[in-house]
Amino acid sequence: MSGIRLAGLTKSYGGADVAAVTGLDLAIDSNCFLTLLGPSGCGKTTTLRMIAGYIKPDAGRIEVGGRLLSSPEHVVPPEQRGMGMVFQNYAIWPHMSVHDNVAFGLKLRKLSKAEIERRVGAVLELVNLAGYESRLPGQLSGGQQQRVALARSIVVEPSILLLDEPLSNLDAKLRERMRDELKQLQRRTGITFIYVTHDQAEALALSDQIAVLDKGRLQQFGPPAEIYGRPANRTVADFMGLINLLAGRVLNRNGSSGEIETEAGWRGRLDLPPAILAGAAIELAVRPEAIRLVPAAADSAFTGRIADQTFLGNLVELMVEVGSGTLLRVESHPRQKFSTGERVAIALDESELSVFARAEPNEG
Amino acid sequence: MAGEARLGSIEGNRASGLVATLPEPSSRPRRPWQSRLDLETVVTGSAILALMVLVVAPALSLVWASFKTGDGIGVGNYDSVLSSRADLRALGNSLRLGAYVALFSLLIALPMAWAAARTNMPGKNFSKLTATLAYLTPPFLSAIAFVNLFSPNAGLYSVFVTDVLGAPWLKFNIFSMAGMVLVTVPHTFPFIYLLAVSALHSVDASYEESAQILGAGRLRTALSITMPLVAPSVLAGILIAFVNAIALFGSQAIIGVPGRIFTMPTRIYQLFDYPPEYGLASATSLIMVAITLVALYVQRAYLARRSFVTLSGKGSRPGLIALGQTARWCLFGLTLLVFIGAVLAPYLTLLAVSFSKSWGLAFWKNLTLDNYRFVIFDFEQTRRGLANSFILSIAAATLVVLLGTVISWIDLRTRIPGRKALDYISLVPLGLPGIVMAVALLQFWLRVPLPLYGTLWILLLAYLARFVPLGVRAAGASLRQIDPSLEESARILGASWGTTMRYITLPLARPGLFAGWLLVFVPALQELSASVLLYSSDSITLSVAIFNLYETGYSEAVAAMSIVNIIVISIAITIAYKLGGLKSAEMTP
Repeated sequence: MSGIRLAGLTKSYGGADVAAVTGLDLAIDSNCFLTLLGPSGCGKTTTLRMIAGYIKPDAGRIEVGGRLLSSPEHVVPPEQRGMGMVFQNYAIWPHMSVHDNVAFGLKLRKLSKAEIERRVGAVLELVNLAGYESRLPGQLSGGQQQRVALARSIVVEPSILLLDEPLSNLDAKLRERMRDELKQLQRRTGITFIYVTHDQAEALALSDQIAVLDKGRLQQFGPPAEIYGRPANRTVADFMGLINLLAGRVLNRNGSSGEIETEAGWRGRLDLPPAILAGAAIELAVRPEAIRLVPAAADSAFTGRIADQTFLGNLVELMVEVGSGTLLRVESHPRQKFSTGERVAIALDESELSVFARAEPNEG
Repeated sequence: MAGEARLGSIEGNRASGLVATLPEPSSRPRRPWQSRLDLETVVTGSAILALMVLVVAPALSLVWASFKTGDGIGVGNYDSVLSSRADLRALGNSLRLGAYVALFSLLIALPMAWAAARTNMPGKNFSKLTATLAYLTPPFLSAIAFVNLFSPNAGLYSVFVTDVLGAPWLKFNIFSMAGMVLVTVPHTFPFIYLLAVSALHSVDASYEESAQILGAGRLRTALSITMPLVAPSVLAGILIAFVNAIALFGSQAIIGVPGRIFTMPTRIYQLFDYPPEYGLASATSLIMVAITLVALYVQRAYLARRSFVTLSGKGSRPGLIALGQTARWCLFGLTLLVFIGAVLAPYLTLLAVSFSKSWGLAFWKNLTLDNYRFVIFDFEQTRRGLANSFILSIAAATLVVLLGTVISWIDLRTRIPGRKALDYISLVPLGLPGIVMAVALLQFWLRVPLPLYGTLWILLLAYLARFVPLGVRAAGASLRQIDPSLEESARILGASWGTTMRYITLPLARPGLFAGWLLVFVPALQELSASVLLYSSDSITLSVAIFNLYETGYSEAVAAMSIVNIIVISIAITIAYKLGGLKSAEMTP
């Protein structure tokens, strides 16, 4: 009932030259945990604030459940959207106790006193803050303030909850715990979460769907595994974690696939995006964990030499030198032992390779 | 699992659809004009309109008058002012006075504020009391007091050093530039002090601690971390001190005129002697406006580069610095000295004069209550003035703070085109000495077919126009400290603009707004320079009554009336603090 549709959403600040968001199209299912992911300045917070109704778009529209909420002509104000929002700095009102902060939205909805007390009690227990009702925000730790902010937003049972980097001010351990709690909360309540972060690990762990933004444009939209495993372009691939990029060329092409040769020596047949034609310069992107190493044999097609290795506990990170001096980063199981300098055969998992067009260096 | 059971109850309610209880805009029939006429639009629109009527219309009348010469429109008035030796000297004197006063106010206020806000100095409440009392003392009353001490012939101090010590070279002539600075600084340093104290309170200790951990000493930390963080507030204080010093008419008339040191306000006053030179006076005051606007521009450019949102959603934690015994008591000594000079000396002098039959070295031999009997029972202007002053001050302070809050809110939180201009317009009256404001108002309202002249209404309009900058400044400083997300989070929970203002913005801004209310109420209760031109026998105010009496030269009765005035002000302020101040004091840790 509360699917969100963004169509051609555009916003720029200080004239048309500084575009924050350009032509954003997104269809978000209800009861979904969606993450807007991207580096700072990519337009994710602007998008979130447009969904909340704080910012009027320059072009495009926002619809929720088929109802038009935002367009350049008219913006339904935030207070009439029935959404919730958790701010990066929590925005807990410092002059109100924990109880009053949480009860504020319920009082606005004119619930009976008993009902308000019941719900405030229930939600504070849910976020593990029972007994803190009379505390002032100044007397709470960061994690506790964060949970007050969360309780305040969900106690009114919004159909959509917007979260603007809510975990970025917490320490790592707390962040991980709150991450789990957020995920469980979303799954249990069925509230649609729209979550803004620049932390790709957070996005992968939490989301049903991820929308990767860069420079105000949507780069890719899909479930975490797809975003991670089959990045749509180099920007996404780079942003989603460590990745090896091998320069190469398309030898020939027939139908949807083509034969590829990299400068490092790997050859193979892969599905290619339609825009990449025979003879085109490409980059082959391969994640460190999609590479398998075995001791080299006489008939090994693609080999390299172990240049360096680092023991990381649950895995070993190996740097493998392949043809033309390129270093390949490989993650391997610690039980598989190699010695530095050893020659190894390299197998790439073809289902996890991505091919991007490459700008050829200017010659002459 | 218990957690899930609880959650189930919340989920169960989801079905009943709480969200549906929020008004859905699409289900509400609205015509285009209706959707625009919400509370926010009405309130902001009224504030803008009020500012136009209060400030812009009279100011434009003033500009018009300054260009109107005997033979049409021209720059003849400016030409006369800028080529007249007397006018140029008045301009120079005003600038010197403003600069000296700002400098000495800063030198006194900053160490006092730092000591009171961030150190373990003893007597912090005493420090605040000193600044408050100094600010509350009407500058023209301290001027009268200091004249009784330092006037070259009859002043008690002058008589003492001449007749008793036989050392006339020790005499201090109050009728001088130094005298003007002396009577003005006690009134102006509290501006810097109060703003600096509240800014220092909001600096989180972690900023200073991170400098210390990097090896910065206590002094270095104070100079390179704390001071820059509070600099915008201090600069705002200096600016207010400067423009206030320039615009104070009463003390400059009492001290400067007998010493033949004319400043721009007294020069303008002189120009109103018969026959009144409206054109020249208007041109002169517009030159003052120009000076003020330059000062304001500098301050704004500085603030724009460094804005520090210090009151975030997380609480701040100011740290105290433990000073050694010597330093603690030195700072306390400074505070004590300021107390004696700015509060004790003028009050004791006025008290002594008020009880004496005839002021002089042997005044204590002939004490009397006659002066009080006269001003309370015989001089009927006292009671009427009291009532009028109260009505005017309460109305002016309340309306100015409300107006200032809306204007600042428009400036800081909306994207209405021209909002910066609105902010500048609200500051224009700072550059208008009260007497000029009075003339501007007269010129405008005499042309409007409303019988305002001679009523309290025109005085109220003058007070509102005069004090609107204080309201905007105080509200702006408060609102700037409130992170916008605190308001946004109320909106998304379903609070309308009005509800957000009522439960979030105004309560959070309350300490600052209450300070702003006092900043208006107190000078309004003592307003002289505009009232002196606008009053009638029915609408006379307390300070005009005192000034009238001073003109007759009856200094013992004037002193008695000043004491009555001071007692009345103290009672009023005590009540005001009791009503609204205690909770705000509790909120600041």
